[in-house]
Amino acid sequence: MAKFEVMVGNKAVAYAAKLARVKYVSAFPITPQTTIVQYLADMIANGELDADYVNMEGELSCQSSAMTAATTVRSFTATSGPGLLYMHHPMHMTTWARLPLVMAVVHRSTKGMQPDQMDTMSQRDTGWLMIECQNSQELLDTGIMSFKIAEDERVRLPTIFMGDGYILSYTSEPVELPAQEEVDAFLPPYKRPYPMFPEEAKEAMALMSQMWNPFVDPQNVWKQQQEAAMNAKTVIREVNAEFEKWFGRSYGNGLVEEYKCEGVEAVLVAMGTIASTAKTAIDQLQRDGRKVGLVAIKSFKPFPDDDFQRIGADVKAMGVIDRNVSTGTLGGITFTELRHSLYDLDERPMTLNFHAGMRGKEVRVEDIKRMAEKTLKAARGEKVTPLVEWA
Amino acid sequence: MSKPVPLSKLDEKEFIVPANSACQGCAGSIVARIVSKVIGEDMVRQEVACCGPAFGNITQPVFYGEVFEGAGAMMTGFARAFNRLGRDDIRVTGIIGDGGTTDIGFQGLSASAERNEDMLWVCYDNEAYMNTGGQRSSATTKFAATTTTPVGEFSRGKKERKKPLPILVGVHRVPYMATASVAYPEDFIGKLQYAKPVKGFRFIQVSAPCPTGWNYDPRYSVKVAKEMVLSGLWPLYEVVEGALRITYKPKELKPVKDVLRSQGRFRHITDEEVDEIQGEVDEFWGRLQEKDGGPLF
Ligand SMILES: Cc1ncc(C[n+]2csc(CCOP(=O)(O)OP(=O)(O)O)c2C)c(N)n1
Repeated sequence: MAKFEVMVGNKAVAYAAKLARVKYVSAFPITPQTTIVQYLADMIANGELDADYVNMEGELSCQSSAMTAATTVRSFTATSGPGLLYMHHPMHMTTWARLPLVMAVVHRSTKGMQPDQMDTMSQRDTGWLMIECQNSQELLDTGIMSFKIAEDERVRLPTIFMGDGYILSYTSEPVELPAQEEVDAFLPPYKRPYPMFPEEAKEAMALMSQMWNPFVDPQNVWKQQQEAAMNAKTVIREVNAEFEKWFGRSYGNGLVEEYKCEGVEAVLVAMGTIASTAKTAIDQLQRDGRKVGLVAIKSFKPFPDDDFQRIGADVKAMGVIDRNVSTGTLGGITFTELRHSLYDLDERPMTLNFHAGMRGKEVRVEDIKRMAEKTLKAARGEKVTPLVEWA
Repeated sequence: MSKPVPLSKLDEKEFIVPANSACQGCAGSIVARIVSKVIGEDMVRQEVACCGPAFGNITQPVFYGEVFEGAGAMMTGFARAFNRLGRDDIRVTGIIGDGGTTDIGFQGLSASAERNEDMLWVCYDNEAYMNTGGQRSSATTKFAATTTTPVGEFSRGKKERKKPLPILVGVHRVPYMATASVAYPEDFIGKLQYAKPVKGFRFIQVSAPCPTGWNYDPRYSVKVAKEMVLSGLWPLYEVVEGALRITYKPKELKPVKDVLRSQGRFRHITDEEVDEIQGEVDEFWGRLQEKDGGPLF
């Protein structure tokens, strides 16, 4: 039987790993992630979870050891901001080896401890899938789903599930804990993705020579990763729908969550806790008769191009809120990816960009309403400047 | 304590493929051959960036992690995961260069030793980053010319002394630590055989001269290695749970002078510089003898 418990986001993350019955956890403290690995340490100490728990000497080693452990058992690690930056090198390797490792990232800026997305955005091209969450329940559910997505034969890519530091990590909310038997039925036991045992030497050598064969196109590794990441769009939708069947909860179509988008002229596009704040703004605006909805990006990688093409064809303007910046590029990273998705449309909506929430700068309902009004103005065909603004 | 075992006593089976892309006279491939013969069927190997992929084509499962800095952590992941599935028969073995051990991999080495992870770390010590063209490492001997410590009007080669890695690992009080040399295979095999069934962290640093980087005739790799042992430049000893034992004691050490001068990388050194190294070698050998049979610290 499922039960409710009031818990902070980090505890929900720890429960996701526990319910997934991870067998290897590599740990290193960094605010605001730290309590995740503390909860897991307690769970193991109390006999609630049977896993190897290794206090590593740094995040580089957390990533490297969880990577090799994932050749053999279901593995998990978690980090934030600078810790994630420090993992960068082995993260590429984890993808290259196609290991379905799952990692939780609690967003922390690259400067200071408050959240923004510069940590994960700096890992954008490591080949990891990246799935964002808006609340503690979503963290728990997405954590469980992440293992199923990552381990799917059509995908087999490492996966990050993530949420904002402080706003989620240390905020208590009621969370429904699914029953272990149901999670076991939803998420089957780990299949070793590699022939690593000595008696499997022949298969292992064949695999190695395939990877190292100089006559094989060296670009194949990335070609296959790209195919797998694109397959993940289908797999994420399926897993999200299956999760709904088992647990009665789902998150949009798994890739995007469209909030009150019927019959609207404009939408805001946001991720994470900004998206959840934006829901309140949309409620208020619609009460006042404004035709504006919200699209929350859940899967940043793979990027939901198809969904944005469909939504973009129906609205006149899209206002993208980016808790990140890519200096030297016109706008934020989701703005850039979104405009890229829309390029092939015959009739493209206007797109606006708002940099907001960097280094934890507060983003209030009022701020979002103002962004929405500006987007609506663009939808009416009025001239709006600047196209990209620092909110 | 280990007992020397000659190569001829080992099973005939080879795990290393005869052809490889190592340089002529590569002592690293001797290390790879001996390690793979002794650990054999039970081995899963970790490889990082180094000459290993060129000289060590061993037909047992290997994980080539391009993570040069990650040997300790990657072997930790394997050892933990295998043991968790009850496969403690598998010997997680790393054949790692000196750079990947004493420099960029040092943090992971020390951490794995401190956690006493179940792994066998064999460092083949060619005293430089050879794979990238012979740049200095902290394992390079003082005064050696390398491509980043060249000899010139304002430079006498490497300025610093060789990092005393075996001692540093030994003071972690790991279950097993030893030095070895490709010139003394029976000593090396004995140490590997001793280390193989031991649980926990085991470390062997093997002197593996590199003709390409040290600039001597490739046919002399074993001879050069032998002279390093005979002169005390590379003493053979082991530390078991904190107790030190010298495993090979030359009656009298040969002077280092000829040994150094036979290697192109030292061709420039003056008599005073030779004396400096000789002094250090004598001092270290003296201390080793004092400690022989007793605690390392
Ligand atoms: C992070 C990183 N830095 C640098 C390199 C380049 N690199 C590859 S092998 C190597 C030297 C390895 O030296 P060592 O461990 O002594 O082994 P050897 O080459 O002597 O066999 C270097 C510097 C790399 N692959 N990765």
